[in-house]
Amino acid sequence: MSQLQVNRINDASGGVLAPISSVMRNRIINGGMTISQRNGTSSVTITDTSLLTYTLDRWFGYGSSASKFSIQQDAGAVTPPVGFSDYLGVTSLAATTVAAGDLYFAGQYIEGFNTADLGWGTANAKTVTLSFQVRSSLTGTFGGALTNFGNTRSYPFTYSIPTANTWTTISITIAGDITGTWVGATNSVGLRVFFGLGMGSTFSGTAGAWAGADYRSATGATNVVSTNGATWYLTGVQLEVGTQATSFEYRQYQQELALAQRYYTKLGASPQGSSGYQAYGAGSCNTSTNQNTALTFPQVMRASPTVAFTANIGISVAGGYTNCTLAAAYAGTSSTLLQTSSSATGGGGDGCVLLSNSDSAAFISLSAEL
Amino acid sequence: MYKQCNPIIVGGEPSSVIRTTDGACIPFDPANVDFQQYQKWLSEGNAPIPADEPNA
Repeated sequence: MSQLQVNRINDASGGVLAPISSVMRNRIINGGMTISQRNGTSSVTITDTSLLTYTLDRWFGYGSSASKFSIQQDAGAVTPPVGFSDYLGVTSLAATTVAAGDLYFAGQYIEGFNTADLGWGTANAKTVTLSFQVRSSLTGTFGGALTNFGNTRSYPFTYSIPTANTWTTISITIAGDITGTWVGATNSVGLRVFFGLGMGSTFSGTAGAWAGADYRSATGATNVVSTNGATWYLTGVQLEVGTQATSFEYRQYQQELALAQRYYTKLGASPQGSSGYQAYGAGSCNTSTNQNTALTFPQVMRASPTVAFTANIGISVAGGYTNCTLAAAYAGTSSTLLQTSSSATGGGGDGCVLLSNSDSAAFISLSAEL
Repeated sequence: MYKQCNPIIVGGEPSSVIRTTDGACIPFDPANVDFQQYQKWLSEGNAPIPADEPNA
């Protein structure tokens, strides 16, 4: 019996063909930057200096000082690289001096259930390859890092953008970490991917080696936030097992959206639009001002989600519509029972419906981000 | 700032808390990062606004 053993298979033009099995090949969700439930194509200025700010689905930004950069789907309206429709666009909003302890970055946390098979922290740690398409108004050496959740293991990497305002394909192969503590098959953070936009020396380390430190980028990397108006665009991000970057794993839109909805779900207003009276769930009145409504989530979520209403989420009871506010919720990852308060005129035991109250822009958000 | 919620079922235990800055309802789930923030806020010596009078 003969055996065929190859590292990769090229097509006629030299491109790398995808492996036959592509289930969970790309550990990154929304690597093509197509899903943007929260903000659509609106720009988000990163102002929170204590927590991550989620922008495009699964992708966050953070800055030690507020309002130094923004993130926007398809910022600048440049032509995406071939094969892609969207990208994550960073724009520097000032010429920021990056102090030793400062951090400015974009990135994605990957859930432990989707990284446990990498075996990191064991002798059987698998090698991975991170690939992406990047473009900047700046040229030079840029950096990022893969890290664990405990801030005790990190692998800084560098990549080069030789020509300004031109998409560049990057591929970085990283030997799996055989030491350190890595989260296994749980719903906690299994692995973190950071792209440095401005990193102080405290959080910058030698590229190309694992370190027992909390490095978020590589020493000497270009600080995008230090140039007012500088741009940095990213798409086609893929993290996969192996020593070669294979072609980007395209997923159907609904598949990618479903993956993203495990972490954030927007019910109601959407890029596809909705009626002004979109219904979310049915329930019953406890009193004339208090209602319980069942809400089923479209995907099982990573954790019991935080529920938030925009203006004009209402209760329909006895033929009338009245705006309501959240009063309580049960924990649950596939559904919840919401309690609302309103001045609806129903009596105890009357049926009710939770809905958008004549506002096609109203929505309910469910957040179970890492 | 946070505000306590009443139990959904009369006689039950509270299951969530309201974040007053945006009115969001945070369930008591240790894996929820907003709940983790609430726990951190409590550990710093803060106290939530008491819940309204329970429903009849």
